[in-house]
Amino acid sequence: LETINTELFNKVKNTFVEALKVEPAQVTPELQFGDLPQWDSMGHMELLMMLEEDFGVAVNAETIAQLVSIPLICAYIQEGGNA
Amino acid sequence: MPEPVLEIVPETVIPAHLIGQVQSKLAYVDEGIAGAQISAAGDQILIRLREGLLEDRAGELEEKVQRVVNEMAKGSFQPKVEVLEDHLDRPVPYSADPMDELLARGEVVEEETGVFTLGPLLSRLIDYFESRFLELAAHFDAQPYRFPTLMSARFLSRVDYFRAFPHSLTFATHLREDLDVINQFADQTVYGDDGLNTPAESFSRIQAMLSPAVCYHLYFSLADRPLPGGQLVATGVGNCFRYESTNLSSLERLWNFTMREVIFVGAKDFVLENREKARDFMRPIFEEIGLAYRVESANDPFFVGEFRKQAAFQNAFQLKYEIRASLPFKADTLAVGSYNYHQDFFGRHLNISLPGGSPIHTGCVAFGLERMAYAFLAQFGLDQKHWPRAVREALA
Repeated sequence: LETINTELFNKVKNTFVEALKVEPAQVTPELQFGDLPQWDSMGHMELLMMLEEDFGVAVNAETIAQLVSIPLICAYIQEGGNA
Repeated sequence: MPEPVLEIVPETVIPAHLIGQVQSKLAYVDEGIAGAQISAAGDQILIRLREGLLEDRAGELEEKVQRVVNEMAKGSFQPKVEVLEDHLDRPVPYSADPMDELLARGEVVEEETGVFTLGPLLSRLIDYFESRFLELAAHFDAQPYRFPTLMSARFLSRVDYFRAFPHSLTFATHLREDLDVINQFADQTVYGDDGLNTPAESFSRIQAMLSPAVCYHLYFSLADRPLPGGQLVATGVGNCFRYESTNLSSLERLWNFTMREVIFVGAKDFVLENREKARDFMRPIFEEIGLAYRVESANDPFFVGEFRKQAAFQNAFQLKYEIRASLPFKADTLAVGSYNYHQDFFGRHLNISLPGGSPIHTGCVAFGLERMAYAFLAQFGLDQKHWPRAVREALA
């Protein structure tokens, strides 16, 4: 969490909990695509669409393939790479 | 009397890249639909109805069509089209549909909708193409496997197949073990306009399906244990069954077809590198065969509810590339094979692990044998004089 804003992480975590139907404790700062059974292909798409709603993240072929970990998602939002 | 037609203006305009995929799904909307056509602009749908469909069902039909269009097209993602090879401009000498001549010669006989018997010419041609695909298998020292035609419904359920492709499943069943049921069947069964007159309750519960794919059998055989040695290349040929309703057409779209596959199981890099090596290996073979084709990104035909997300995911992660052969008679292309990568999907769902404990990755190269022969004949015709030398000599 040194480089990830704690407040942002907590917001992203809430989106994860809602999109993937997981417990908050399962959403760790280093979490990557595939680490949880719920974060599979369908879970990934659910998650991205919810991130789009919550943070304005653009959902397209590039972001679908890029945003595959919490650090990458947080960095993307932090850098203003949203739609 | 002309077929009745229902004209529908979709609530969501269908983007160009989805027109074919939505159109093919409309066949599954209702048994009263004989065919569907979507305008090039995606703003009009013409539904051909079967005779006898009651007019008062038009509203219900339209509601179902709108539901399909909305689920597939609303908020759809624009796919990134990636062309890895383009040899569509390779000159070919033929431009007619070979199907009429194949039927006239008795080279193909339709036993049932989408079910064909192939004659000597097509069988030899398919044997030749298979021999070329087996060169690919030998290049990787792929281990030979023989897979059954039936596939376990229990395993298909474990890999979420029913959620992704419910529309194309073919079920295997048998009469229940009940003397009265079996005697009743033997004494009273006739085949009528609606098929067999057997009551549904005479049939057993479903334990098996007719295989919709070849490589799944390998993954199922490896389930629930570590993969010995951490990697495997296998090959097998098998019957596949995908029910395509009114989309079943000539040798382009069969209910029952055969596929030869070369299958990679192991770590991510092993699978991805071999998928690429396989494409490199096949390029000069297709050149020798003279095939006009293109290799481009694609997605599997997921059903309506799953389509939008699954297709976008496949596209974004470059999981599927199709070998699309030219069909000059209709200025279109036909998928005759594909290069696939499934990530660790089967490893996770089937609990197959690498020596370190992480789930295995899988990929496969699949060739549709009937489609390959059909596309070849669509490009070169039935007169062997016009065939490329390599094919002509192999069949001499």
